[in-house]
Amino acid sequence: MFAFVLRRLAFGVSLILFATTLTFFLVYSDSSTIARNILGENASRAQVEARAAELGLDRPLLVQFLDWLRSAVTGDLGTSYFTTESVSAILVTRAPVTLSIVLGGVLVTALLSVALGMLAAVRRGWIDRAVQVLSVTGMSLPNFWVGLMLVVLFAVTWQLFPATGYVSPDLSVTGWLASIALPVAALALSGVAAATQQVRGAVIDVLEADYIRTLRSRGLSERSILFRHALKNAASPGLTVLSLQFIGLLGGAIVIEKVFALPGLGSTAVESTIQGDIPVLLGVVAVTVVIVVVVNLVIDLANGWVNPKVTIR
Amino acid sequence: METRMKGTRTRRAVAMAVAVATLTAAGCTSQGGAAGDGGGDEGDALVVGARVDNNSFDPADLEIGNRVQYWQPVYDTLLRLSPEAEPEPNLATEWSYNEDQTVLTLQLRDDVTFTDGEPFDGEAVKANIEHIKAGTGQNQFMVAGIDEVVVNSETEVELRLSEPVPALLSYLAWVGGVMASPAALDSGDIAQEPVGSGPYVFDAEASTPATKYVYTRNEDYWNPDLYPYDSVEVRPMSDITPTVNALKTGQIDAALLTPAVAEEAESAGVTVDTLAVAWAGLIIADREGKVVPELADPRVRQAINHAFDREAMVEFILSGYGAPTSQVFSTSSEAYDAALDDAYSYDPDKARQLLEDAGVGDFTITLPQWDGPWNDLFPIISDQLGKVGITVKYKQIPPDQAIAEVLSGRYPVAFFPLASASAWQDLQTWVTPEAPWNMLGAQDPELDRLIEAAQMAPAEEQPEAFQEVNRWLVEQAWFAPLFRPDQVFGTTEGTATTMQAQNAVPSLWSFQPDQG
Repeated sequence: MFAFVLRRLAFGVSLILFATTLTFFLVYSDSSTIARNILGENASRAQVEARAAELGLDRPLLVQFLDWLRSAVTGDLGTSYFTTESVSAILVTRAPVTLSIVLGGVLVTALLSVALGMLAAVRRGWIDRAVQVLSVTGMSLPNFWVGLMLVVLFAVTWQLFPATGYVSPDLSVTGWLASIALPVAALALSGVAAATQQVRGAVIDVLEADYIRTLRSRGLSERSILFRHALKNAASPGLTVLSLQFIGLLGGAIVIEKVFALPGLGSTAVESTIQGDIPVLLGVVAVTVVIVVVVNLVIDLANGWVNPKVTIR
Repeated sequence: METRMKGTRTRRAVAMAVAVATLTAAGCTSQGGAAGDGGGDEGDALVVGARVDNNSFDPADLEIGNRVQYWQPVYDTLLRLSPEAEPEPNLATEWSYNEDQTVLTLQLRDDVTFTDGEPFDGEAVKANIEHIKAGTGQNQFMVAGIDEVVVNSETEVELRLSEPVPALLSYLAWVGGVMASPAALDSGDIAQEPVGSGPYVFDAEASTPATKYVYTRNEDYWNPDLYPYDSVEVRPMSDITPTVNALKTGQIDAALLTPAVAEEAESAGVTVDTLAVAWAGLIIADREGKVVPELADPRVRQAINHAFDREAMVEFILSGYGAPTSQVFSTSSEAYDAALDDAYSYDPDKARQLLEDAGVGDFTITLPQWDGPWNDLFPIISDQLGKVGITVKYKQIPPDQAIAEVLSGRYPVAFFPLASASAWQDLQTWVTPEAPWNMLGAQDPELDRLIEAAQMAPAEEQPEAFQEVNRWLVEQAWFAPLFRPDQVFGTTEGTATTMQAQNAVPSLWSFQPDQG
């Protein structure tokens, strides 16, 4: 178990190194473009060159990257070219926004997909068909469209939730819940649709297994069979789907953050890419990889916990 | 709100219902509390949406355009511009030029203190101008022409120039005249912690970068009547859809919009103000025929101008929010001449005739093209030029490199929208041989003479002299301007504002609660 965690962490570190290296060399355009984007259209060529030199952008590309890497290892992720804010400070304010909506999305997905998937698997008949139709419909609706529709209905027309913005839970817990409600709903819809199908399939498989028949013949109640035995065995594929969903939702967050003007990692990634704000972008990539690795690790451990048949080595 | 209550007896459903009810209540609370409530009563908060995030509070790096929204609450400027762009007193109460316009003497207020307790005086003016001069910010040009700041007394300074700078008064009303506490300039923290003498104080505790910037009233401000709001909040919103939604729901009181959403906002009760501060069109950079020899002949450049149906473009591209034009200067510029707006009519026959007169057969020009708000315009440009015998080839460039690429000097002609400020600033940016937007460094002795005459002219004769320059530029067709797009600015019920000539958004003092 300890070796497993260690191996996973080592893998995470190499993934961060790989992703940031790739990002740096793919996104870096040239020093004058970055300086021009910072200074704007009216700056003279001399000013652009002066700013590029000030930021050290005139040094060889490899030197710049190794310099960043050296600082990053010591925990200094540098400062934004555009706002002179430290990248760590930027990440500290942006990561909770994305985590709020993505973890919220995963939670809603887990609760609803287990409830709906089990309902469809146990009751079958028209309920099953209805759930399947809803799933397919849910999967085919794009996130941003769902987001826009939720805003039109719940924010503009009925004024129940704020249309944009993020409130930190430090300031107000209810305000935070209200600010993430619609983004979470928009994000969770496709997740619920996909995961429900998986849960349904897994539960049906388990319910048709021999040992369930054995349990039934012993006179165990349906409720006990379902919750104590079937669900536990169906949980493993469910958790795997959920970990995949998490990564999918992290991607979906980019669009959703734009729709709701949320200052999260997604919108920061988009803006820093457009501007060429390399230190910020590298910071976002690094922290995103960390989040993905940690979440996968946690889900793997949870998988081992709910289902002892899964051995973690 | 309808809550599905099938199987209500299960605890989970009850818990969910409670959660939804809590969220709904929370949503209602935060609606009312977070924004300036749209009521606009005196003493309220003014909540403004901004198209871009703040970059820096360091005066050396401040920007005009949308970013004035972040620094106008904290910093006073030496002068102020009226909505029509006329210089008005602010920290400097009076000003006068010497005879050859190389020394500007300013009289300063004696009752102003920075929020850290430092006094505002002649030394502070000197420290600030020298600070901006020493920086590499894009508006450094606003003070570049000031050779020396001589402090005559606490309340009088002289700005000594190497040669006349006709736009200097306007520069002193923007970034060139921003006054920060000299102690704060030296502290090294000013990029994040501004210290000025403005009507508000930046509240770093209540602010979250990229989310909201909060400013509370400076209780010791010398001119409080100009600013009726108790606090100001600026919320960065880069996308137009959330901006419109935030306006519709009263989360914000004001924001810059786009022509595409103007009607939708108006139908939701948002007041829409418009003003044209930019022009969009072709910069015919290769006026000397270095890349495409045909472009050296003014008749060829005039032909390009006659090829465009500008009225149709305004209707189709701007949804009517704008005006066709053949000149590059905005209506508030000293160089503006109304007669030049329709100097080039839509006349493909005349265009073909001009090309024939110039002895030019069909030829090809390459323009840069990038994904973005002008996607619909690029095919129209190539279509209309194609109809008079000029083939347009586009080179696709990444949107993040658009400005750098257009300015690279690789293209004989390029489309771009450019904001027009004062005539002198515009000439320095687009026309003079060193101007960044004169990408191939074109120069003409007659133009040089006209520009110098305008620079040296006494103030009262300057508008006519600048208009002379404008007429020459139109006649020689250095540009093929297409239209002046309107800036569309939205305010909610209870908030009123006046558009600011030569800037993307209104100035902070233009916002007032609207009692009517």
